[in-house]
Amino acid sequence: MRIQKIFGNTVLWVFLLLFGLITLIPVIITILGSFKTNIELTTGATLLPDKWHLSNYSEAWEQANFSTYTLNSLIVALSAVVGTLLVASMAAYVVDRMDFFGKKIYVSMQAFTMFVAVGAVVLRPQFDLMVKLDLHSSLWGVILILISAHASIFFILLSFMKGIPKELDEAAKIDGSSLGRTFWRIILPLLGPGLGVGALFTFRGAWNEYLLPLVFTMTKPELQTLTVGLANLKYGISAASQTHYMMAGACLSILPILVAYVFANKSFMQMTAGSLKG
Amino acid sequence: MNNKIRNATFAYSYLFPSAILTLVLGIYPIAWAFRYMFYNYKGYGTARFIGLDNFTRIMHDTQFWDSVLNTFVYAGGKLLLSIPLSLLLAAILNRGLRGKHVLRAVFFMPTVISTAVMAVVFFTIFNSYNGILNQFLIKFNISAAGIDWLGPKHAMLTVILVAVWGAVGNYMLLFLAGLQNIPEDVYESSSLDGANKIQQFRFITLPMLGPVMQMIIMLAIITALKGYESIMVLTEGGPVGKTEVMFLYLYKLFFPLGGGAASTQVQEFGYGSAVSFVTAIIVGMVSVVYFYASRRMNRID
Repeated sequence: MRIQKIFGNTVLWVFLLLFGLITLIPVIITILGSFKTNIELTTGATLLPDKWHLSNYSEAWEQANFSTYTLNSLIVALSAVVGTLLVASMAAYVVDRMDFFGKKIYVSMQAFTMFVAVGAVVLRPQFDLMVKLDLHSSLWGVILILISAHASIFFILLSFMKGIPKELDEAAKIDGSSLGRTFWRIILPLLGPGLGVGALFTFRGAWNEYLLPLVFTMTKPELQTLTVGLANLKYGISAASQTHYMMAGACLSILPILVAYVFANKSFMQMTAGSLKG
Repeated sequence: MNNKIRNATFAYSYLFPSAILTLVLGIYPIAWAFRYMFYNYKGYGTARFIGLDNFTRIMHDTQFWDSVLNTFVYAGGKLLLSIPLSLLLAAILNRGLRGKHVLRAVFFMPTVISTAVMAVVFFTIFNSYNGILNQFLIKFNISAAGIDWLGPKHAMLTVILVAVWGAVGNYMLLFLAGLQNIPEDVYESSSLDGANKIQQFRFITLPMLGPVMQMIIMLAIITALKGYESIMVLTEGGPVGKTEVMFLYLYKLFFPLGGGAASTQVQEFGYGSAVSFVTAIIVGMVSVVYFYASRRMNRID
């Protein structure tokens, strides 16, 4: 009986560790590979670099434009976070706390945009619209479209909003606080945890977004984000000679989000698990 | 009365940014596609109304139906591998285990990094010619010349494996959330009755997990049918269209492929809109059929 148990546990652990290794290995390869020379990467068949070259990073940063890409990614992601949280929290406040004509229509509209799967087709009218508004020659077009996709964050903040007692609003009203003042001074600070989760989620989405910035920067390489610039290395004519840049660039793109994940993995998971309970 | 008007004004002004963005950038593009699916429109010149001609063209578009077939192979493969694996991992991690928090965080990690970036990394790993994986296969004499991972024979398997790598942690977490809802005392009383772990899993966990499982599989089906980003970067739909899924085919009707690379396809907005409508119908139909077929899961006896 005991032997059986020990054997069973060993099998279990071997399976878990093996799968953990499979999960981690592509990321480990990326991190270690970013210190190797191109020749080492394409013919070396080694795990650890022969010498640790930091030059990949400096070259990718200066010659392969990764400084521009990183800056663009930061601008897009941070603006999307601020915009999304503002727009979604204001909407969630009035939907939860007030009654007005059209509330049901608005909520169903938000739900509708979440569930319709039409693929790349919407990118075309979105792009043409931004050209008409003259917003396609900056990152504003990308940022606005990212903010417009705030339905999931709206529903998350709505559920957090329901957890804030309505007596607080009543008390503030008796003290002579206007609706707006109540929102900015009382509700928003209490919404902190919800805003944090929403910020992580939005940042992850915007930082990792590929198709949208790709479409918008086809004729404007100076606006490319990390994901687009990196994928273009693969499409480039000299792709074979740039594997070391690919690895360094992939690292630059992965590391910020990995660091955030190490510190806040509970919040990241809460997000996913929470979506199940609706 | 005055107060009422003031309140309504406040409500609408706070709702306005969200509503206008959703209408203009969320709803209008869908309406745009609805209109142009009846037009011959290539993005320049005038759009000509052609009624249902785009749809008859879809009927005879073998390239499109090939991509639909590929989508089903891709989605089926992804589900068959990722759902059992993620359920197994969740079931193991759910029974108090030392280091389970670390393991959970490790398994979930792929879901926080960019699909496109990882597709580039997987390209350097699976590349048939001096890719990292083949270097190792050759070095350790597992295979003399390496395996043509991205060649016509194995490309679909490779994109499925990459998709599974990215998805397992996500579904594992959802299954874990579902498992938390099964009361512990059911397991305890069955242990007293002499049920072993495998029997418990078969007769308690699976049935009790029914409704949650139905939802997770539904989500997984829709996600798998919609996914094309990693395929786009990894194989561009090639070689010879072997990994072209329907949403990637659709993308190519609207935009030239990545980095302005020479695209074999002409952009056609009218026809693309019609294709988009058909793909949405296909996703919807698969969901409805699955939903009816899986009703049994929802019954806890």
